[in-house]
Amino acid sequence: MSGTILDTTPRLGDPGQQRADRSAVRRSLAGRIAIHVGLALTALISVFPFYWLVAMATQSTAEIFGYPTRLLPGDQFGVNVANLLDSVDLLGALLNTIFVALASAVLVMFFDSLAAFAFAKFDFPGKDVLFVLLLATFLVPGSLSLVPSFILMSWLGWVGGFEALIVPGMANAFGIFLLRQFAAASIPDSLVEAARIDGAGFFRTYVHVALPMLRGGLAFLGIFTFVAQWNDYVWPLIVMVDPQRQVLQTALQSLNAIYNTDYGMVMAGALISVVPLIVVFLVGARHFISNIAAGALKG
Amino acid sequence: MAATTTATVPATRSAAAPVRRRRRLLSYWPQYVAIAPFYLLFLAFGLFPILFSIYLSFNEWDGVGEMTFVGLGQYQYLVADPRFWNAVSNTFIIWIGSTVPMLFLALLLAFLLHQSIRFKGAYRVAFFLPNVTSMVAMAIVFGSVFSDSFGLANGFLRWLGSQEIGWLTESWAIKLTLVLMVIWRWTGYNAIIYLAGLQAIPTELYDAAKVDGASTWRIFTSVTVPMLRPVILFTVITSTIGGLSLFTEPQVLLANSGGNENSGGPGEAGMTIVLYQYNQAFTQFDFGYGSAIAWALFLIAAVFSIINWRLVREREGLADRRTRRAGR
Amino acid sequence: MARLSRRRLLGLASAGTAALAAGGLSGCGSEVSLSSDPHELVLWLWNRSASPELLAESARGIPGTDFRLRADYIGTTFDTKLRTSLAAGAYIPDLTNINSNNSLYFPAEDQFLDLYELGAAELERDFYPWKWSLGETPTGRFCFFPLDIGPTGFFYRQDIFERAGLPSEPDEVSAATRTWDEWIELGEKLRRDADAGMVQTAAQLFNQFLNASPERYFDTADRPLYEQEGSAVRQAWDLAVRAVQTGVVTGASSTTDQNAAWVSGRTAGQVEGAWWSEIVVDTAPETAGSWRIAQQPGPPGNSGGSFVAVPRTCKNPEAAFAWIRWAQSPQMQARTFNDVQLFPSTPESFELGVMESSDFFGDQDPLEFFSEAAQTVPTTFISTHESKVGAFRTELGLVSNGSKEPERAWEDAVTEVNRVLRKRGVL
Repeated sequence: MSGTILDTTPRLGDPGQQRADRSAVRRSLAGRIAIHVGLALTALISVFPFYWLVAMATQSTAEIFGYPTRLLPGDQFGVNVANLLDSVDLLGALLNTIFVALASAVLVMFFDSLAAFAFAKFDFPGKDVLFVLLLATFLVPGSLSLVPSFILMSWLGWVGGFEALIVPGMANAFGIFLLRQFAAASIPDSLVEAARIDGAGFFRTYVHVALPMLRGGLAFLGIFTFVAQWNDYVWPLIVMVDPQRQVLQTALQSLNAIYNTDYGMVMAGALISVVPLIVVFLVGARHFISNIAAGALKG
Repeated sequence: MAATTTATVPATRSAAAPVRRRRRLLSYWPQYVAIAPFYLLFLAFGLFPILFSIYLSFNEWDGVGEMTFVGLGQYQYLVADPRFWNAVSNTFIIWIGSTVPMLFLALLLAFLLHQSIRFKGAYRVAFFLPNVTSMVAMAIVFGSVFSDSFGLANGFLRWLGSQEIGWLTESWAIKLTLVLMVIWRWTGYNAIIYLAGLQAIPTELYDAAKVDGASTWRIFTSVTVPMLRPVILFTVITSTIGGLSLFTEPQVLLANSGGNENSGGPGEAGMTIVLYQYNQAFTQFDFGYGSAIAWALFLIAAVFSIINWRLVREREGLADRRTRRAGR
Repeated sequence: MARLSRRRLLGLASAGTAALAAGGLSGCGSEVSLSSDPHELVLWLWNRSASPELLAESARGIPGTDFRLRADYIGTTFDTKLRTSLAAGAYIPDLTNINSNNSLYFPAEDQFLDLYELGAAELERDFYPWKWSLGETPTGRFCFFPLDIGPTGFFYRQDIFERAGLPSEPDEVSAATRTWDEWIELGEKLRRDADAGMVQTAAQLFNQFLNASPERYFDTADRPLYEQEGSAVRQAWDLAVRAVQTGVVTGASSTTDQNAAWVSGRTAGQVEGAWWSEIVVDTAPETAGSWRIAQQPGPPGNSGGSFVAVPRTCKNPEAAFAWIRWAQSPQMQARTFNDVQLFPSTPESFELGVMESSDFFGDQDPLEFFSEAAQTVPTTFISTHESKVGAFRTELGLVSNGSKEPERAWEDAVTEVNRVLRKRGVL
């Protein structure tokens, strides 16, 4: 049987195999079980700490640190959430965070894909130097820039405003590099060439060729920009000075005490903050499934 | 060679007069407009902090009071600082120990997920979770799993009849715990990148390979991997940078163990370069030295990124030609 | 042309950086205050560092002034935020809580007002003198006003002591452990007869020894003392090493391990500040009734406790001080204790008869114990350079896990600390 994944025997060019593997999809039952066992085991390890978070969010602080370690959910979720709502403006923070993360994701997807397409599929003077420069900024240490960045924001009058969270990162080296690699892998030169012969300019080609073909990469970038912005803590801590305009992470962090933190409440907050990310992932991940590359080629 | 430039507006080599050259440059305006936002934002928000931190690295500054210029003093101290070199060696051990298995596993997972199998959606969500589960929760969970006498990991080892491991106390075990934590947290993330990359590969290539009668493994090695090469290069480079600037995991896992804040546990066995930088800047309030460490890391990361780039890129060129042949 | 403009831009940027550095980073022309309301003062604090009840009252009006107080809760990493704002000279609160690491702000003391100039001196007699003196900078300015304190004692599991046939009533345990030698001896018996430790880590014991010592790492002129013959640091080190060698230390380092050790009885004690009562109540309620508190050998120490400071950019220092005066009075500190269990720094609070004690410690009243302990805490000096002596604890960790000989570790610790101090210009 040649169905299993780790079959290392080289067979290409073996005439006897002409129709043996018509499809990598159709495989033996044993092979499928092996795949599922592997995937399920990995999934289990991946999910386990998240499950633990769920369990902790439903327990009191005493149960969380109880001995022996308790792995089953408790019945304190209502209490924890009530304490949480008492302590922070959760809904306000949630709405603010959704706005900031969504705006960032959309802007990053737009600006990064535009630049990535230019870098991947066109030549222009200075391109190599500019790209190396871009990659170099990727390596630049960030955490020490808190003080100068804060000073900049206060000069601009942006302290306390959402623009301080959104604007500086709305085009970034990470996303441009990512999408450039995706474009290199998935947009055939022939398509770009065909568009040019049809008289389409750069921006039309971008909209009609690049955007559809980059859907998978864009979805990834969008999701992870959203996640990164959602979970960002240090910069919002510094720059969001208005208690009426908190984001989720700063609101949640304000629950911590030096000595006796209510961990049940903190875990409930942590759980609530993750759920929207899962929803975003489910929505965005649809774009990993549909294989549109083929369609685009034909079109 | 020619294939890569077919889509390109032909560049005229004969441009001699500056006027013509400017006109030639002008004809590229859409590309420049497309890439401009990044550079403008960088000039506005990135350059000043960078210059500031370079300037800081030549000074002694506690973050609030006066600055004193010390020239290359911070760098001289750095070269002879055993704690810095301990952090460098820890970082490399953890980086290499985690990146290689992580990327391999991620590629395998992505490839499996790309097959038409059931529960695909559920698996994807499962692999996504480690990357978003809050770090506050992680601190407690990993602290519990790997705690010495009452942890699940040692409980499991006892059950197997094997010797217990001081996951958070012994020098080598601390690094192993961190390696496991990194693999756990980032494998799914990389798998999702690969999966997105796989979906973008034109199905014609697979069909052609299948018609040729290629086995699954053969398709994986001669179609999937080469076509994915640019994406693999991306993950290798980002894992290099991410691995060399490893911070969150040791900070969370070893927050207060070893008696000192943010110091990587007993004997600083889990101290990484960025954790040391953070420790110096934000726990010791030695911002000048923190900046010097940051720039030393910049150099190290640049060297390794260039090496990686060279290694993978040469092959990328090769792969391009191969797939082009395959596609024909 | 392109090159010229780029060079000019670089020039401009570096000039800007230099100007910033020269100007001490005063964010010229930017907003200094956090609130644009001229009658609103802003206080930065972290959760449970003030009574929400009192804050709600202050939000309506600070008694005796026409100002209101806005309380902004910052997370526990608030030092980073405070320092960034101070460095930028922008968006600085009118009042800020500061944790027991207040000596870190000594070099930046000009950022804070001297509360003596606002009339703090007349309140001094209301407070424990040792706590008051911790609020003074080495130059004699009073920048950090006392909030809560953490007088220490030896918490222990009475049930386990009893089972091991050891003295188990608080008075008996205190009498049996007048010196650290006796304490170690008792610990050895506990290890032999109940297989339990007296404390979790060597570093903990090391810290608490110094917390109860009038002499610490540096003298008031910031000269290091640890290398002197018989220094307090050396005594603390020897005690911690002996505790490791005699098995008196359990060696549980992670939070989970420590909690499990206390609940299961593998560790039957803890030397810590009064606030630890709350922790054990919250995390191990099933051990209720089995804990007692005895006097630790020698005088009690102080662990933790916080301060409130008034940045020099405060909108109205008089109103800010009026709030401090009101909120830190013995009556209000007693109320704060009932609300969030911050242990008062004013002895009079305990005499008001309004404070609600816990019944977690059986027939023993922890309030009585710690208010008595607070009276004998020695006055000490915490140098701003204590943040740089972490190597002692790092090396102690290596002794604990058996990877280094104690004497070698001590030498390495001293060498490392001296190296750091030389770099920072202290030596």
